[in-house]
Amino acid sequence: MTDSKYFTTTKKGEIFELKSELNSEKKEKKREAVKKVIASMTVGKDVSALFPDVVNCMQTDNLELKKLVYLYLMNYAKSQPDMAIMAVNTFVKDCEDPNPLIRALAVRTMGCIRVDKITEYLCEPLRKCLKDEDPYVRKTAAVCVAKLHDINASLVEDQGFLDQLKELLSDSNPMVVANAVAALSEINEASSSGVPLVEMNTQTINKLLTALNECTEWGQVFILDSISNYSPKDEREAQSICERITPRLAHANAAVVLSAVKVLMKLMEMMAPDADFVVNLSKKLAPPLVTLLSSEPEVQYVALRNINLIVQKRPDILKNEMKVFFVKYNDPIYVKLEKLDIMIRLANQSNIAQVLSELKEYATEVDVDFVRKAVRAIGRCAIKVEPSAERCVSTLLDLIQTKVNYVVQEAIVVIKDIFRKYPNRYESIISTLCENLDTLDEPEARGSMIWIIGEYAERIDNADELLESFLEGFQDESTQVQLQLLTAIVKLFLKRPADTQELVQQVLTLATQDSDNPDLRDRGFIYWRLLSTDPAAAREVVLADKPLISEETDLLEPSLLDELVCHIASLASVYHKPPSAFVEGRGLGSSRRALPTRSGSQDILESSPSHGERSGVIPTQESLIGDLLTMDLGGPPVASSVPAAPFASSGLDLLSGGLDGLLSDSPSVPPQQAAATAAPSVGLLGDIFGLAPSASASYIAPKQMWLPAARGKGLEITGTFSRRNGQIQMEMTMTNRAMQPMIQFAVQLNKNSFGLVPAAPLHVVSPLAPNQSYEAVLLLNPTGPVQRMEPLTNLQVAIKNNIDVFYFAVVMPMNVFFAEDGQMDKRVFLSTWKDIPAANEVQYTINNVNLSADAVSSKMQQNNLNASVERRKEKNKNLSPKMVCVNLPGADPMRLRTLRIYRRYAGVDGSILRSKIRCHCNLSPWKNRT
Amino acid sequence: MGGLLSYFRSLIGSREMRILILGLDGAGKTTILYRLQVGEVVTTIPTIGFNVEQVTYKNLKFQVWDLGGQTSIRPYWRCYYSNTDAIIYVVDSVDKDRIGISKQELVSMLEEEELKGAILAVLANKQDMEGAMSVAEVHQALGLDLLRNRTFQIFKTSAIKGEGLDQAMDWLSNALQSRK
Repeated sequence: MTDSKYFTTTKKGEIFELKSELNSEKKEKKREAVKKVIASMTVGKDVSALFPDVVNCMQTDNLELKKLVYLYLMNYAKSQPDMAIMAVNTFVKDCEDPNPLIRALAVRTMGCIRVDKITEYLCEPLRKCLKDEDPYVRKTAAVCVAKLHDINASLVEDQGFLDQLKELLSDSNPMVVANAVAALSEINEASSSGVPLVEMNTQTINKLLTALNECTEWGQVFILDSISNYSPKDEREAQSICERITPRLAHANAAVVLSAVKVLMKLMEMMAPDADFVVNLSKKLAPPLVTLLSSEPEVQYVALRNINLIVQKRPDILKNEMKVFFVKYNDPIYVKLEKLDIMIRLANQSNIAQVLSELKEYATEVDVDFVRKAVRAIGRCAIKVEPSAERCVSTLLDLIQTKVNYVVQEAIVVIKDIFRKYPNRYESIISTLCENLDTLDEPEARGSMIWIIGEYAERIDNADELLESFLEGFQDESTQVQLQLLTAIVKLFLKRPADTQELVQQVLTLATQDSDNPDLRDRGFIYWRLLSTDPAAAREVVLADKPLISEETDLLEPSLLDELVCHIASLASVYHKPPSAFVEGRGLGSSRRALPTRSGSQDILESSPSHGERSGVIPTQESLIGDLLTMDLGGPPVASSVPAAPFASSGLDLLSGGLDGLLSDSPSVPPQQAAATAAPSVGLLGDIFGLAPSASASYIAPKQMWLPAARGKGLEITGTFSRRNGQIQMEMTMTNRAMQPMIQFAVQLNKNSFGLVPAAPLHVVSPLAPNQSYEAVLLLNPTGPVQRMEPLTNLQVAIKNNIDVFYFAVVMPMNVFFAEDGQMDKRVFLSTWKDIPAANEVQYTINNVNLSADAVSSKMQQNNLNASVERRKEKNKNLSPKMVCVNLPGADPMRLRTLRIYRRYAGVDGSILRSKIRCHCNLSPWKNRT
Repeated sequence: MGGLLSYFRSLIGSREMRILILGLDGAGKTTILYRLQVGEVVTTIPTIGFNVEQVTYKNLKFQVWDLGGQTSIRPYWRCYYSNTDAIIYVVDSVDKDRIGISKQELVSMLEEEELKGAILAVLANKQDMEGAMSVAEVHQALGLDLLRNRTFQIFKTSAIKGEGLDQAMDWLSNALQSRK
């Protein structure tokens, strides 16, 4: 026994049965079989295998059977492109059938068969049908031309079908005209060159207008659509077209009405806006639009979307029709929302009372979306109709009193906008808003509230507490809220610096270090940099006057609006998007439709004021960049205390420069030279040799001006750094050059490369009387948080007193970091030297060193530059190689925070000292080598 | 008994005979079809696809399929082979260049299993024209001598003039009836 029997089946299957039935001689059976095939096809079964058999049933005098076979053909010709050729002869014959229905059926089906191979055979029958004596056949053939054009455009053009179509425009039958127009406009739209293949002229338009009154409603839509693409040559022609079209506004079909509206809207553009004709026409446009709103909701919605465009383009048309846009209780939500939108657009001083009372009513409905939009609408009314702002605000306050969660949130969002429109007018309500802080759980509402608090921080006594409470859950907030919170706290800080410094530190840290959102981080850094370099500039930037918002913000962009007006009564006007945005495959060729311009005033329109204004308000990108650059270059106060050069230089450059100076013999610089750290000759090591006052003490640079009195509001600070007893000290001379005593001094250091933090609070004699100086010493411990600075030794300092907070940055001398325990075995040194890539090596030469090798060595040792001197017998006894190893304090043993500088081949040759330095910088957490 | 048989036959006779008219393009198939059906010469265009007509000849009903002879259509002839009672193979007697191709098509067609029982009538058409090959020449060129196990006959015809078609149809109907 084999199992093969399972694979052979006695059942031949449905397809086989159908096949034999199709080949049956009995016509009844055949017809039944074709019906079965079509039934299977419609439910999605693949019956394409029956193609030849079904095609063989095609030649029949039974119209019903023929229709069914044609239906099958349309569906499956594409899947059987070769076999489809067998149907051609039947088409050819059917196009000559005495029955016009069959002729039309054949030509219609032919157009639907999208098979390249057979299109050429179909041209002759199509040509005949275009000239058919029966209008039904002609109108069907006209559409077929458009279909054929879609399959093979060049074939249609070569065969002269376009001319035949044009002839049909003057056909005696209006339906034929309508279809010819539809076909032509479709062909024009699909034209690949973007240039319409068939231009309309006055004669054709006249023919169309004649046909318009007689053809069916859908034919009227076609004709109106193509008239809308025609640009009359002058205003008079436009007027006459308008007059002939106006009766269409009374048509029962909404599509006809909207298409007529479209043509009129377009043609009105050509006429002077205040002409009597336009005014009259505007009056005629309102009633049909209002009538559309009494149809079923779906049509209402389409009408409303179109009316939305019309209202934006020509507010006059419907200005007196506010009441029809009032929402009915049983309107579907999508109609309600659209109506609300139009109500706001139509709102003006005369009807605002009515509108507001309506809106207030809506705000108490049950549908959350609708209520929200209603609340928002109240806000928009306030912005749009200035005299009513007061009433709107009080209405909003009433709504807030309802304590309905989403109403309150929405109200706060719009009140924020009202504040942006009318700053400093309704601040009295802030306290009411603050009462509802707890109910806000939506990001937009929270963001708005935080914005209000930040904007009016000086008027809210507990603004810091409020913001602090928000800050607690900073990580969990949405980006929108985080950004607002950051900005608001910075605003608060700039307004009330005295007690909010901790808060701003906290938020800046959160934004820059604990967030992975680049926007937030960057904004944090910008604020931080602004605040740390020049608080005055920060104040100017952050607290600058903001432009007022206007009600125009929610309007469509004018050019888009114009384009959409040209697409009234199409899907584009419902989506409010140009067709190219949602129709695939078009767009490339189809030229964008534009409103016609008034012939007499073309020049004026071209440089239309709206266009000019926009380009003036929004600068081009280049000029923006240019502005930024000039701002950067031309802003010396921003970086006054920070030397510019070290910012650009790498750590290595700094070191080489610094050590260069350290070893040089030049007796240093005038101590008072400003910004000493930036000057290359004022290096650190050089000063060691130059000044080196006693044998035991390490070098201390002279005090430099850190904070001039002009910037410190009378507080002048000069200072330097030193290393005593293994600890870094900041030595400052603070002088009060103001007229009043200063108290409450405090100091804070920004995170820095070496983690330096004050070991003890700053002690300054208090009060510091006018013209009194005080020598303050601040011990620094390298135990704080680490953040790489540029240059490495940069330190940002904030000094606070009862007057203000002052920020300045200083570059610390390198030698204060050199630890005492830096000595290193010679071999270890050599191997380490080799480990460091030669790329990290800097060489330099110091002139005028009048010291012996031993003297150099001891000097360096005093500064914790541990030199192991190796003498060699060489020609010049003074020449001796040296090794220097410097260890920086590694405060945290777990994180090796060292900067090692290795120096070799230092020879004192007469007055010249040569040096090679390789340095190895391990500044966790960056772990990079420089 | 015979009367009864003929009675049944007349009943059965209402069954349509299925006839295919095949041949190269331009041989005159469509003209022959309509000559048989309406007895007139109609102006024809190349048949892209097929024609099918009811032809009644001497009380016999034929369903006659005229298939296009273009190279592109020949592959689809086979879709029409099943249940075919007779084949009318039309040859353009003037077209000596393509008689070889005509032979090939005929031979490959006759090899088809579905056409095993089909009767074959070869029409050497266009005999009215000058330079037409004779029946014997066509017979020779198509290699009909070698044809075995097939009821067939060759006729000289002129579809334009209507000559020879009646003989062919007479023979065909007799052959079909006697086959029963």
